[in-house]
Amino acid sequence: MELELRYFAMIREAVGERTTTREFDSGTTVRDVLATLEDDHPDLEGTLLANDGAVARSITVLRNGTNVTHFEGGATELADGDTLSITPPVTGG
Amino acid sequence: MSETLPSVYGGEILHVDLETGDNEIESIDPQDARRFLGGNGFVAKQVAEHVPVDADPFDPENVLALAVGPMNATPFQSTSRGVVGFVSPMTNGFFDSTFGGTLPQALKTTGFDGVVLHGAAEEHSYVVVDEDGAEVKSADGLEGTETYETCGEIRDREGVGYDTHVLANGPAGENQVRYACLVHESKLREGVAGRGGAGAVLGSKNVKAIAVQGGDFQPEPAGDLQGRAVQQMGRLMEETEMLQEYGTSGLVNPINEMGKLGHRNMQTEQADAEDAEAVSGETLYEEYVTEDTTCANCAVKCGKHVSVEAEGITEGKIPEFESLFGTATLQEVYDPERVIKANDLCDRLGMDTISWGVTVAFARECYEKGLLDDDDSPHLEFGDADGLVELARKTAEREGFGDDLAEGSFRLAESLDDEADRYLYGAKGLEFAAHSARGLKGMSIGYATATRGGSHHDTRPTLQYDGNHDETTKGTPEFAARTQHFTALGDSLTQCRFVSEAGWGARVNERYAEAISLATGWELSTEDVEAIGERIYNLERLINVARGVADRGTDTLPHRTMHEPIPDGPSEGMYCPPEELEGMLDEYYEFRGWNDNGHPTTDTVERLDLSDVAEHVAD
Repeated sequence: MELELRYFAMIREAVGERTTTREFDSGTTVRDVLATLEDDHPDLEGTLLANDGAVARSITVLRNGTNVTHFEGGATELADGDTLSITPPVTGG
Repeated sequence: MSETLPSVYGGEILHVDLETGDNEIESIDPQDARRFLGGNGFVAKQVAEHVPVDADPFDPENVLALAVGPMNATPFQSTSRGVVGFVSPMTNGFFDSTFGGTLPQALKTTGFDGVVLHGAAEEHSYVVVDEDGAEVKSADGLEGTETYETCGEIRDREGVGYDTHVLANGPAGENQVRYACLVHESKLREGVAGRGGAGAVLGSKNVKAIAVQGGDFQPEPAGDLQGRAVQQMGRLMEETEMLQEYGTSGLVNPINEMGKLGHRNMQTEQADAEDAEAVSGETLYEEYVTEDTTCANCAVKCGKHVSVEAEGITEGKIPEFESLFGTATLQEVYDPERVIKANDLCDRLGMDTISWGVTVAFARECYEKGLLDDDDSPHLEFGDADGLVELARKTAEREGFGDDLAEGSFRLAESLDDEADRYLYGAKGLEFAAHSARGLKGMSIGYATATRGGSHHDTRPTLQYDGNHDETTKGTPEFAARTQHFTALGDSLTQCRFVSEAGWGARVNERYAEAISLATGWELSTEDVEAIGERIYNLERLINVARGVADRGTDTLPHRTMHEPIPDGPSEGMYCPPEELEGMLDEYYEFRGWNDNGHPTTDTVERLDLSDVAEHVAD
């Protein structure tokens, strides 16, 4: 299946692109995508996933604009055509 | 034996009669320090005690009170902010506005924990505070000068360079633009007491600026506050990485991705990704940022300077996220250089970029709907970038239609057809900040009940963006109230919100209790320190109740928030219909111990040890 990945701030700096479209296996989870990105980009190692496999506190992950905390966090299964936005923690200004 | 004041306090409040120049010194009662801690607690008490409930915000009877907290000038990270308290010309209620930089720390070293300006000066003046007291000096020659220019001129006049720390009005404050702000330009960075019209109140007192020269007082924490502070540094730095690099402008893209960033006067809540990108932190960082700037005692350095050659801006202050909402996405203006120019102008002229931006966006929609036309003002089409800059100048000078914009959106609406009310975005007379009143349920009830009106520093959005109380009303009134306690406690500490949320936690917790206990020597529990925040919030509410601006009728939301769901994007369908708001208000009042009309009950006033102040407010 195809996913659109959008990167922001420090994550964008590490990846070197704003957006990519990638093929993943059916049943891929948020955690799988983050692990793949950590593997592909050494600067991201240890920054996207916590030790227990949860989404790290230092990032926010949105599935089609909705925080994955509203689904199953890192275990959220993704669907073909989904957009995953990976941003810094979102705070009040 | 009577209680002594902890040695983190200088222990005195300085009262200044602007008409005579007389000084009076009030000793801080240790019990009041325990009750109100500092900062907003101190200024709220001053407003309650000194401003008659029927005084107009522009009457000399209004005060402008400046205060710091117990931890200013200690090792506790980023307790370097100051609080300005007054009755607001926007809301006619109590207002506290905070700012960073170096002035608050300098004030602390004078031994004065607060300075209260009473009355009005006979001639255009500025006030110089040092450890001996205050002197009211002639501001001859400073009429109409911009904020940064004023800071520099007063530094020159006082002759000690950046050791004179200046908080200044611009032309907007002199002209009593209702949302005029105060700007502090220090050696390290700029600070802005942005919201509620502090600059307008100071202008009404015929005062151009407050200047502070530090003294020898050094606060002495009772315990190892420095050691405790160091323990939080790792988490603090890790969780503020985005702020360190991009400042708050880094929030534009993520919040737009969520579909919760107001666009075209809130007609929608998501800009095209390319438009948002044009005014995002990423773009500003890449194209315009030249250096980091910081408040005193802060390692985060979220301040940035930007330079835009085409606009003649060198080392200007970067637009904050809230300002980019107000002056870019709400306007449909995505030319970053014009947006930076408009923000720089607002800073120089001394205007709150949120209230001004929301007011201009409101006018643009009124123009679009035929309620205003070209005879009222040119440049009112959405997307008109040149208009943004021109309207800023006209507003500060109250020239032409700028005179209407200077009154804020609510007063402008009163002069138009009733239909205009449908396009307002604010509460209690104050325009909302960038955090969606429709897309975040916690902000719906939070804005409606905020003592400041449309402030994002009453109820906080931070936890909501992480999925807490953003989409549900269940338990949300209590959540909103308790983050109001959190912000009130934080503003009494005068700690930077970004640092406290990231480093110490976004709810009142045992870490705050421990730190405050180490600073003061008091043995306080988490419940004790949350009660300080609750007490301050109730005092603010009591002032507003006495002034007739806080009850169930004013705890409301604008038409669009209650009647028009977000039309598209990830937050499509979200809004807060009237029956939902009413249900949340019932729950909120019950949690707070307020009656059905939103007034604190006698039992609540007694429980919070506010009887003496409440009695005074009622006079």
